[in-house]
Amino acid sequence: MRRGFLGIDVGSISTNVVFLDKDRNILFASYVRVSGNPIDSVKACMKELARLMQDKEMEIGALCTTGSGRELIGAMMGADVVKNEISAHARAAIELHPDVCTIIEIGGQDSKVTIVENGTVVDFAMNLVCAAGTGSFLDSQARRLDISIEELSRRSIRSTHPTAIAGRCTVFAESDMINKQQMGHTQEDILMGLCHALARNFIGSVARGKPLRAPVLLQGGVSANLGIVRAFENALGCEVIVPKHHMVMGAYGAALLAMEANVAKSRFRGAAIWTHHIHTRGVVCEDCPNNCEIIEIIDTDEVVGRTGGRCGKR
Amino acid sequence: MKERLAIPNLGNYTVALAAMVNGMGAEPWWSTYTNDHAMALGIAAAPESVCLPFKAHLGHFIEADDAGVENALMVNSIGACRLNYYRGMLEETLKDMGRKIRIFGLGFDGFKPPVFRYFDPPLIPLLRAVYIGVEKIRAIDTIEMQTACTRAREINTGETSLLMERCLRELSEIHTKKEVRLFRKDLPRRFAAIGIDNKRDPLRIGLVGEVSLLRDRQLNQNLEQILGHRGVEIKNFFLLGGEIGNNFGITMGYKKNTAKQLAVVAKPYLGCEVGGHSRDSVAHTINCAHAGFDAMVHVCPAGCMPEVSIRPILRRVSEDMDIPVLHLSFDEHTCALGMATRVEAFLDILWSRRRRCLGRTKRQGRI
Repeated sequence: MRRGFLGIDVGSISTNVVFLDKDRNILFASYVRVSGNPIDSVKACMKELARLMQDKEMEIGALCTTGSGRELIGAMMGADVVKNEISAHARAAIELHPDVCTIIEIGGQDSKVTIVENGTVVDFAMNLVCAAGTGSFLDSQARRLDISIEELSRRSIRSTHPTAIAGRCTVFAESDMINKQQMGHTQEDILMGLCHALARNFIGSVARGKPLRAPVLLQGGVSANLGIVRAFENALGCEVIVPKHHMVMGAYGAALLAMEANVAKSRFRGAAIWTHHIHTRGVVCEDCPNNCEIIEIIDTDEVVGRTGGRCGKR
Repeated sequence: MKERLAIPNLGNYTVALAAMVNGMGAEPWWSTYTNDHAMALGIAAAPESVCLPFKAHLGHFIEADDAGVENALMVNSIGACRLNYYRGMLEETLKDMGRKIRIFGLGFDGFKPPVFRYFDPPLIPLLRAVYIGVEKIRAIDTIEMQTACTRAREINTGETSLLMERCLRELSEIHTKKEVRLFRKDLPRRFAAIGIDNKRDPLRIGLVGEVSLLRDRQLNQNLEQILGHRGVEIKNFFLLGGEIGNNFGITMGYKKNTAKQLAVVAKPYLGCEVGGHSRDSVAHTINCAHAGFDAMVHVCPAGCMPEVSIRPILRRVSEDMDIPVLHLSFDEHTCALGMATRVEAFLDILWSRRRRCLGRTKRQGRI
């Protein structure tokens, strides 16, 4: 049996899975939308992966989870490494573009900027409570206009005279877009204006004066949007590179981190995990005054993991 | 039946404050952290834009009022928090809500503070209580420092935190000065009994910022524990013993770090007082950089004027002295996961810095 390395990125909007062989080739990559249940979406990915692993006679050498659902899925799958998404994304970016200086990552709910010097991360910033300028806002605008997110991307780059949209807050941006629409601006110009507003908002409120030097990488789900790429190029005055595996960079980085963890024997709970009936249950731990809300992960009547504890007890 | 007096949360130090209040002839109403219920009450009652610690104190006093507590004690901060109307605002908000609880300050009007006039404690027991309180503060300082040191190296995760809780419980139950002193002397032995991994070389991180956030684990979402369990030895720069020395000139075994000395250190970057503990935060960051700390974490409530205004200053210090600073800002919407992500990514950066600097001589100064 040959060993492969698995990275799972459980984000707010999508679940991404990347499976590498020991020469760092991507054998399997999948991007699925979460639709409210991370456990089921990971199981769906695992179903496909299990078939591939059987065909190629491979086993999991190490597993790393990342993204906002990393603790939950890590406990469920038996992860060897649980890593934050900032480090995972940076690892993947440095692998593909060793000379990278700035990584802009825009996902479903988060937007982050990571500053890299000589192949190591030296600084980062992440958006606070405001979700303006992230994927979910673009999603909701696409829904409002009754077009797909891909169509939104195509339409925005057809614009010739992008109009100015207020980008500080999604609610105001939306009213402004409706205002411009009633004034008679074309949809293309409004959408491109929105992209400019998002890029401006990102540079003003997330990057906040950090030096954004070239080469700049744009990754995460929103990097598939051509209008956003163009808007960033415009705002930064340099080329913005969208890396090869831009949609699954988090999972790719996680898989690389799993490979580098030098795990002798993986804690992975088996490729057949997608057939198991897995659900969760909330309990309050009363061992200390913290009274943490613990989530127990139950695999057919057996508790296989717990998350949510603040004291580090398992 | 003694009247009850609610005292503000100051983390573990509330144990010592409670002992002092006891000696004043009132029964203390206290807790070492703001619980969820009090937090919810405070958030509902306070103006939306007010800072998180204010909401926590307000909620704490509303909860006390619900429980039938007649009086509360609140101090204005040393710096200019809410332009010195911190207590006044709490008082007015509670009055507007129709709450009956009476808020005392420590301010003098005439001969003695109103709170003393009201309870009129006999002098000798009062002095004795204050003395025991001071002794307890020193014991808690020791507990805090031992905890930070042991937690980063413990083999069984969580053991140190349990011991800390046990120590605080025991401390709240002893009432003579001699016992407290013996208790304090015994602390290093008790913490040494925890199994530690001596080979570990934990990151050293200084914690600076706003007082309530540094001390109330509900407000800082257990930041000390999160860092400790990830193998970080923290130094929380709010130690009440040191603080009393700072502001009243009563030395409690801490010769360094008086407000004056810190002002001199901060001078090149910040020449005046901006309120709260912000000038101290700048000075501590400079000191830590000299002592070879790996990084600083600066916590502040969202919208806290003094702490927010030193952010750019800390950034300059960070660039000049090559010490990374992580700014965390907290309000009731702060998501624990987002904070954990930031902290983890920050620690990743620090470990990679460590690896790169391995060849360089390491500075291991003490503060």
